[in-house]
Amino acid sequence: MTALQKTISAERIKLRRSPVWLAFFGLPLISAFFGTNNYRMNQGILKSEWLSLWTQHSLFLCFFFMPALIGTYCSYLWRLEHSRNNWNSFLTAPVSHFALYFGKLFQGVLMTILGNAWVFLLYFVCGKLCGLTTPVPKAALSWFLCGTLGGIVVCCIQLTLSMWIRSFAIPIGIALAGGIGGLLITNKGLGCFYPYSLYPIGMRANNPNMELPAGQFLSGCVVYILICCAVSVWKLKRGEG
Amino acid sequence: MKTLQLEFYKIRRRNVWLSMFAMLGIQLLWGLWAMRNPKDWELASGWMSLLYSLSVLDGLMMPTIMSLLASRLADIEHKGNTYKQLKTLRPAACLYQAKALCGTIILIVLLALQAAFFILYGYCLGYEGNPDLHHYLLSYGLKFASCLSLFLLQLLLSMLFANQMISLVIGLGGSMIALLVMFVAHYSFLPWGGILSSTLVGMDWDKTSRIITYFYREYSPIETAAVVCIFVWVVVFYAAGHFLFTRREA
Repeated sequence: MTALQKTISAERIKLRRSPVWLAFFGLPLISAFFGTNNYRMNQGILKSEWLSLWTQHSLFLCFFFMPALIGTYCSYLWRLEHSRNNWNSFLTAPVSHFALYFGKLFQGVLMTILGNAWVFLLYFVCGKLCGLTTPVPKAALSWFLCGTLGGIVVCCIQLTLSMWIRSFAIPIGIALAGGIGGLLITNKGLGCFYPYSLYPIGMRANNPNMELPAGQFLSGCVVYILICCAVSVWKLKRGEG
Repeated sequence: MKTLQLEFYKIRRRNVWLSMFAMLGIQLLWGLWAMRNPKDWELASGWMSLLYSLSVLDGLMMPTIMSLLASRLADIEHKGNTYKQLKTLRPAACLYQAKALCGTIILIVLLALQAAFFILYGYCLGYEGNPDLHHYLLSYGLKFASCLSLFLLQLLLSMLFANQMISLVIGLGGSMIALLVMFVAHYSFLPWGGILSSTLVGMDWDKTSRIITYFYREYSPIETAAVVCIFVWVVVFYAAGHFLFTRREA
């Protein structure tokens, strides 16, 4: 077993029987329920079927709740290390610092992917329940992939913050504030430069033309992911959380 | 009194005030952005629209902010595993009351600062006339009660469960429920819908002229019941928190 596999396995053991998945399951469910309800009540105005339904599903989830939800998960991933003297045993594990960080990152990214997949599954099911007969737009795959990439950026930022800040709650507050700030910054057209905007931009939330500045978006994602990984590993190498 | 002082002493370097001011800062930034460049008709009904906008903003953010506040106050005891020791020094009820009062004071300061800033901002934007004192006082009184009920609910959860994820996710879910209830009703009996029920201003959007008309709501019996429900929640959550905390093993 390689060091990376060992750390992934260790993180999985730490998360075993934790109720964290309930949050990822429950919150998008509430959003989908009310988003669909809103769509059905305004079907007279919202005539673009799947696209209209997506606007109702994605707006609040992407800007307000998903960043905070990912933040909660990341805080939970570091929670054990922040209690008592667990930093000592964590940092003295016989694996590299990169492997230690990668174990956490892997779990965070996995949950982000699954959470986003759940959002899309709900979108599909709700569309069918609303009686939409046209096929799901093919572009939905791109929304999913780009949204997931944007979600991974949020995950990386939150992992770094949660490692740095010992409090469980404060990184979640930052994620909430970051998501709301993302709405303002995206409206100014600067979303690709702001990490919390990358998720809604990828998901095409609040984006009537469903356009994506692909180059800016991808480079924004890559830069933020690399910076966060580098900062986190550097911080671990300094021997403190 | 001493226990209350100690609560403030404990949070001295825990950035509780800072995190609350940061949340307030986000609201202020939002206000600066959303209310900039008002049109003439917006200036005429500015004070009413301000009450309405603040209710929407608080309805969305307060459940999460209250969960953060409660978590910061309660988590310190979980981390240090100090509940049992504290109970040998002071009655458990006293500790619970001190935490509840500490959070209440922070909440009052938060709402007072919010009101002061936005009223000042309203004057800077040139809203016509003065804010209606009666409605503003009543609105902030009801908002305080709604936020207090949310804080007491979150404090209960944060003190009972060492895993703060539970209480924070419930706070986050509460924000989502509050936001989504706004789309379907003008009142709600849920604790997270208290701010919505206590919004004294309603609005009517004219599709053709794209002008919003604000008006003071006239409460129907069921809406009045929803407002009364806020106070019921305050009593229920306080009593439940008191009961459960004093009887927990620590």
